[in-house]
Amino acid sequence: MGAQLVHIYDEVAKEFGPIGRMNLALLTKISSDRAKTEPDSPANLTAFQQAITQLRKQGGKT
Amino acid sequence: MRIATKLMLFFGGVVVLFCVLAAALTVQLRNISRTYDALLGSSVRDMDRARVTQVNFKKEVQEWKDLLLRGSNPDDLARYTKQFRDRSSEVDAGAASLAQAVHDPEASALLQQFLAANQAMNEKYQRAYEVFIAQNEDFRAADKMVRGQDRQPTDLFDQVVERLNVRLQAEVQEQAAAARRNVRLALGLSGSLLLLLGAAGLITVRSILNRLASLQAVSERLARADISGLTMPVLGTDEIGEFGESMRGVSAAIEELLKMASAADAVHSH
Repeated sequence: MGAQLVHIYDEVAKEFGPIGRMNLALLTKISSDRAKTEPDSPANLTAFQQAITQLRKQGGKT
Repeated sequence: MRIATKLMLFFGGVVVLFCVLAAALTVQLRNISRTYDALLGSSVRDMDRARVTQVNFKKEVQEWKDLLLRGSNPDDLARYTKQFRDRSSEVDAGAASLAQAVHDPEASALLQQFLAANQAMNEKYQRAYEVFIAQNEDFRAADKMVRGQDRQPTDLFDQVVERLNVRLQAEVQEQAAAARRNVRLALGLSGSLLLLLGAAGLITVRSILNRLASLQAVSERLARADISGLTMPVLGTDEIGEFGESMRGVSAAIEELLKMASAADAVHSH
């Protein structure tokens, strides 16, 4: 459950640090703890991909 | 549906309701005015003409009596003869015109009877007048010839006036009843529409206030970073729902921050 979502969290943490993780949670409305239990559904994955794209565009900020 | 749309619809509904009510009241006023105009133009007018003819008839009889009493004087004889004949013509013309105008069959029949009785009376008056002149203005013989002759036409015309008056009163009452019915209908319709609109407005306002109260409770907990067991209520798809969605993001971000802070504390404490 949520393995890909957790993986995205890890990537963001490596790339942008704690601020990036917080902003990912802000954008996706799913915290890293909840990402572990949420399914890797297409909707969730799309939301996370869109969020990570936005973070990359803005250097980790929202 | 968005709150802005709901508010615009509600406002539009109020405006449309008042426009419809104003239009309905205008139509109603026009109808009442039209029916009263019709009443004034027929029954009231007939009633007035009947009363004028009734008065003229009584004056005609009075002129006859003046003629008999004062006809020994040539000037008075000429004057009262003219006045008597003028009145008689006015009565004939008024009654004939009224007979053509009235729509009530009973009044029309009474008028025809009156016209016949009046004609018979006039013929008798004419013969009595000739006797009066022939006998050197001695009124006794002439008076004897026509005594009581005016009673039947008088009674008939009184019945005409009474009949027209009854009909007029009935029509006035009918109009008043119709106006009352229309007022009740207008009040009922406008009251129902206002109730409907009021209920819709109340439901909308209560829904907004209830959801704002839920959002306020969540916001207060987020302000205290108290996210333990915090669940976001489903707030719909309008502006409040969108605000609630933003709050979910904030809640997740606070949760993430708390988790990182807790991890940092754990590292420092070792």
